[in-house]
Amino acid sequence: MILWIIGLLILIVLIFIVYYNRFVTLENRIDNSLSQIDVQLKKRSDLVPNLINSVKGYVKHERGVMTEVTKARKEFMGAKNFQSKVQKGAALQSAIGSLFAIAENYPQLKANENFLQLQQELAAIEDKVAYARQHYNDSILVYNNLTKRFPGVTFASIYRKSAKKYLEIPVEEKAVPKVSF
Amino acid sequence: MSQHLSFDDQIQRNKIKSFFLIGIIFIFFIILGYVISLILNPSYFFIIMIFAIVFSMIYVIAGYYNSDKIALASVKAKKASHTEHRAFYHAAEGMAIASGLPMPKLYVMESEEINAFASGRSPGKAVICVTNGALKKLDKQELEGVVAHEMSHIANYDIRFMTLTAVLIGMVSIIAQIFLRSLWFSNINSGGRKDDRAQIALIIIGILFAILAPIAARLVALSISRKREYAADASGIKFTRYPTGLANALKKIKNEHVSEKDKEHRVSNAMAPLFISDPFKKKVQGLFSTHPPVEERIRRLEAM
Repeated sequence: MILWIIGLLILIVLIFIVYYNRFVTLENRIDNSLSQIDVQLKKRSDLVPNLINSVKGYVKHERGVMTEVTKARKEFMGAKNFQSKVQKGAALQSAIGSLFAIAENYPQLKANENFLQLQQELAAIEDKVAYARQHYNDSILVYNNLTKRFPGVTFASIYRKSAKKYLEIPVEEKAVPKVSF
Repeated sequence: MSQHLSFDDQIQRNKIKSFFLIGIIFIFFIILGYVISLILNPSYFFIIMIFAIVFSMIYVIAGYYNSDKIALASVKAKKASHTEHRAFYHAAEGMAIASGLPMPKLYVMESEEINAFASGRSPGKAVICVTNGALKKLDKQELEGVVAHEMSHIANYDIRFMTLTAVLIGMVSIIAQIFLRSLWFSNINSGGRKDDRAQIALIIIGILFAILAPIAARLVALSISRKREYAADASGIKFTRYPTGLANALKKIKNEHVSEKDKEHRVSNAMAPLFISDPFKKKVQGLFSTHPPVEERIRRLEAM
């Protein structure tokens, strides 16, 4: 009889440990995917000076776009919290996008090896930001399912874990870019 | 396709099916061992089982720890270069982020054919290798689809899983061999059994079983391999969220004409299950295929 009770107690303790570890693992996964977004945004802003340098020699008339990009980068670097970083990062992306649109008018620039490489690099970063965000939201989904479904919900209240918010897409990015010919 | 399966459902279903199949192989193993020990001597049961398990494990584990090196060396793959294969790196980095797995090592093998494989015993030691032809002929989305498929083999621990099935098949084959050989040497009837005819019937059943079991086990393993392909297709889509990419890549693979010469010398038979599509492109699909038919894979992708 006593053995049974001891066995049951050990089982209960084990279940508590398993659930605690699950919460920690999932939270770590969320933090990790968040930092992955951060890394990609940082990489993008690091590439901007190179981009400006390679464009400078070719683009004479549309100086405004370049200052726009530089300004957007500065704002991104000044962003304090994560939410604003994501927002400024999106603004920087759209500024870079309009720079690329203008580059279309300069055949020599488009033939420049260095410029092409940067263009590919930045396009890849844009994909990676999207994938990092997708993974972040996936991780949140798994975590939220755990905190809301039974029996996870009881453990969530014991450990004081509550559902987390999804990363929302900033308004600028939702708008479909206008294409004019 | 009447019902619309989400990728999570598909992954789940295929995983359940393949665990079920592994169970079947294991049951084969137990029954075969039991029948043999009945014939030879019931007290041998555990000795035979342990011997088969240990032998098969040693054999396969040696292969398992070097699986990536063996695979890469056998197709003469070279490390992908950051400058030359930039698109490959971008696709793999994107998929590593989307899957949350560490970045695999990338390799390229010389072949005009579109193909790819993954190897390595854990996500931390994973390797993805694609052919030159794949890098040339696939566009960005298609390449991402292919890399995502390989990434999900890594994420689903398929390499470990297929190793386990190899161990099980090995065990079945080894005890079958032991039995068939021992029949030559043992004097079964000397044990003073009561019924000679029953004994002979048992021996015949045993022989039949010993011949058929390894073949049956191999068929089950091939069926597992096909299930894992569907599962990898489905979980690859979880990373790209773009079924059309992989579907288009498979269409290109299907329509590709490979010269007979190219088929012959590249890939050994044992490597075939690792690839994204059957490197031998057999015309006949069936029980002995390592991969499900491309048409069916495309159809399932388009239904997602």
